[in-house]
Amino acid sequence: MESSLQSAGLLEQMKIHLSTDAGKEITKKIGLVYQLNIAPKKIGVDEEIFVVDLKEGKVIKGPYDGKPDATFSFTDKDFLSIATGKMNPQIAFIRGAMKIKGSISAAQKFTPDIFPKPSKL
Amino acid sequence: MAMRDLVTGGAACAVPGTAASSSNPFGALSNAILGSSSKTQELKGLPGSAVNVPGPLPHFRTEAPLSTIPGLENEGQQHHPPVGQNNEFLARFRTADHGVLADAWNEIHQPPALQTQGGKIEAQFQEFEQIYNRGASSMLPPAWDGPPQGVLSRFLHSFVDSGRVGVPFRPAALPVLGLSEGDKQCIRDRSFIMAHHIFADKSEEYINAQVNALLHSLDIDGNERLRGPVRGSYPELEEYWTESQGALRSGMPYPADKWVSEFARQRENGDPEAWAHSFEQLHGANGWASEFEQEQSQLASVGQVRGANMSHIAAMEQSRMLAHTLAQNNDPKFQNSKFLQFVSKMSRGELIVDENQIKPATGSLTDNWADEYQAQYNAGSSSWADQFVRQELPQGTDKWVNEFVKENQQQGVDDQWVNEFSKLHVQDWAEEFGQQVAEGALGDSTADDWANTYENFLDEQLLASKQHSGASRGVYVFSDMNPYVGHPNPLREGQELFRKGLLSEAVLALEAEVLKNPDNAEGWRLLGITHAENDDDQQAIAAMMRAQEVDPTNLEVLLALGVSHTNELEQPEALRYLYKWLQNHPKYGVLATPELADSPYYGDVARLFNEAAQMSPEDADVHIVLGVLYNLSREYDKAIESFQTALNLKPRDYSLWNKLGATRANSIQSADAILAYQQALDLKPNYVRAWANMGISYANQGLYEESIRYYVRALAMNPKADNAWQYLRISLSCASRNDMFEACDSRNLDILQKEFPL
Repeated sequence: MESSLQSAGLLEQMKIHLSTDAGKEITKKIGLVYQLNIAPKKIGVDEEIFVVDLKEGKVIKGPYDGKPDATFSFTDKDFLSIATGKMNPQIAFIRGAMKIKGSISAAQKFTPDIFPKPSKL
Repeated sequence: MAMRDLVTGGAACAVPGTAASSSNPFGALSNAILGSSSKTQELKGLPGSAVNVPGPLPHFRTEAPLSTIPGLENEGQQHHPPVGQNNEFLARFRTADHGVLADAWNEIHQPPALQTQGGKIEAQFQEFEQIYNRGASSMLPPAWDGPPQGVLSRFLHSFVDSGRVGVPFRPAALPVLGLSEGDKQCIRDRSFIMAHHIFADKSEEYINAQVNALLHSLDIDGNERLRGPVRGSYPELEEYWTESQGALRSGMPYPADKWVSEFARQRENGDPEAWAHSFEQLHGANGWASEFEQEQSQLASVGQVRGANMSHIAAMEQSRMLAHTLAQNNDPKFQNSKFLQFVSKMSRGELIVDENQIKPATGSLTDNWADEYQAQYNAGSSSWADQFVRQELPQGTDKWVNEFVKENQQQGVDDQWVNEFSKLHVQDWAEEFGQQVAEGALGDSTADDWANTYENFLDEQLLASKQHSGASRGVYVFSDMNPYVGHPNPLREGQELFRKGLLSEAVLALEAEVLKNPDNAEGWRLLGITHAENDDDQQAIAAMMRAQEVDPTNLEVLLALGVSHTNELEQPEALRYLYKWLQNHPKYGVLATPELADSPYYGDVARLFNEAAQMSPEDADVHIVLGVLYNLSREYDKAIESFQTALNLKPRDYSLWNKLGATRANSIQSADAILAYQQALDLKPNYVRAWANMGISYANQGLYEESIRYYVRALAMNPKADNAWQYLRISLSCASRNDMFEACDSRNLDILQKEFPL
């Protein structure tokens, strides 16, 4: 409960997901490091930084030590929408709901299928 | 207005989607009245009635069809394109509102023998005729054998009952119910969904056989053409046009589109292309075309009457320049930044691309141009029309008509205008852009991707604009068509349907109940539960919030809200409701400390519930809440333990099995999760949430093909489960089944079920 973000829950699941066979498959397929700057309400304000390291198969809180292949900035809600397939990442970008720094080709591999889906009680 | 237009087939009759109620029994009735009352009014404007035609036609200019005259011109002229590609261009045009006029034009071009296509006139026309006759002879409502709605409802119930007793459904002969295509579609779709609920344990073929038997009795075509979403409103529009034409020819005066009828009348005099000629004369030979071209070169003079056209051309010009720049600079860095500009231009609607465009083939490009043109055109057509009218004014209506008649007698129409028009730079532009893309200015896949996305973006915006009106968070969204409205006791019906497991139907009945009695907490609560089981947490939350408004201390409601918010990863809300559960509990309420109520801390709440569990370890509910709480804090092992304790006390609670399954799945024990889901489904075969969760578990294990089957199964029971659609699409992509995207995007369950049977 150390983070107030909804995304933190999903990233937590991602963390353990990456240790499964399916998760390792994803790591092998992507092989890139993404940094996520997630803001509660407005991009750039009170951001929490997570690193989804698909080289090593890790999710870490805090900025990446080095240069990530791509850095994304979005709000909590928008990130969830993207990760659960509600919003296409490219649409998010066009709308200005997602900002990208880094390589476009790396950014294009940032798709909903790298995230595990939360099951519903 | 809509009702009347449906009868008269006016230009505005394109009622979108299946909502067209023109020929459901009630609609028909009101049409009969509306239709007959409008007859008198319409008769005044008939082209056939000798009074009006030679004299000034009062509504002549202001009629809507006039505003589309220029469109007609383009369409008509496109019949002689020097380049074959323009056919598609034309086709696009025809699907627009201008379709009516386009058809008029087409017809003119056909030999007279072909013009009587009476066979094509569909049931709706017959009804039109019926209504007309009825209206003409008497205004009495028709005598049916019992109200058709009653007949239909009894019949559908017999179908449901057949499912319950397990006897195969037998088709029966029914009186003609006068169902419209829209109604039929609605019945068909709902029967398929219902059948999947009723026969959840039966095979796909059995279900299909049952539904087909039902549909056959209702004289509904069960084939695929009719299933799936109605493709926009235009086919309907065209049908109405056919009807009206039929009416015209069979001597029945058709008054709505005065201009068109006028036109149709004139066409008998000779070559209708003379119209174009006439127009040409009015504006000087090739006037319009050259003017158009002029404008294209003089981009600066925006703000004229044809502003809409202008901005469109400007957009083309801009994107052309952009493409040009892109190609010229080979520095990758520069390209990157330009690329972004390119995308942002797309976002402003200044550039339209679609997936075909990376191909150098210009046909599809022309197409897009057409689209854009059309869009602009619709916007600008009224000003165009205004201008047209203004230019006409000094000459007077008669003159126009006379001239028109005169021109009709002339032969050998000059096609210059056509040539001129087709010589416009449409193709240059298209080719150039195609070239740029082909040269790799953007990189194939990139352009493809982003272009597709832009289309989606547009779609989504449309959708969003629709949904944002009502579907903002916490607002319950009612279904459009609800047959249970007016039911004497929808709550009991809803409870019964819920008990039978017909979740989607139960939703409708319960919606009818809460519409009738907005203060019925039980109605809202059960509606919320039903939505949750149907895998729609947003609606579940909205319904539960209404229930809580009415009955703030209902424990079931509070727990359900806690669970749904947990599912939506909304921790603070979930925590608040779970704490309220404790506060309002007759036994554990004493544990609650009031100062916690506003913003309860997770640790405190968990501690209190643990105390409660110690107070009465035999109370399954406390363990359930504890399980949910541990899900919130992602202490999955403890959560699993709590749910298992609860299950020992309540082994036949299917939702509890699902909770156990979901918790296991979230703690990456997907294989064990599936076992729990199976238990849930054994107890409740049409528990949509469990089916969808099965899909999630398979997907998270990387078994995408498997997951697709379960998603599709869940969706067959509740096509409104948006989450499942999104997950299905992801799984399709992971399983490299991009060929099924279209079926998924158009939500075509027929195709998906055939492709991925369970």
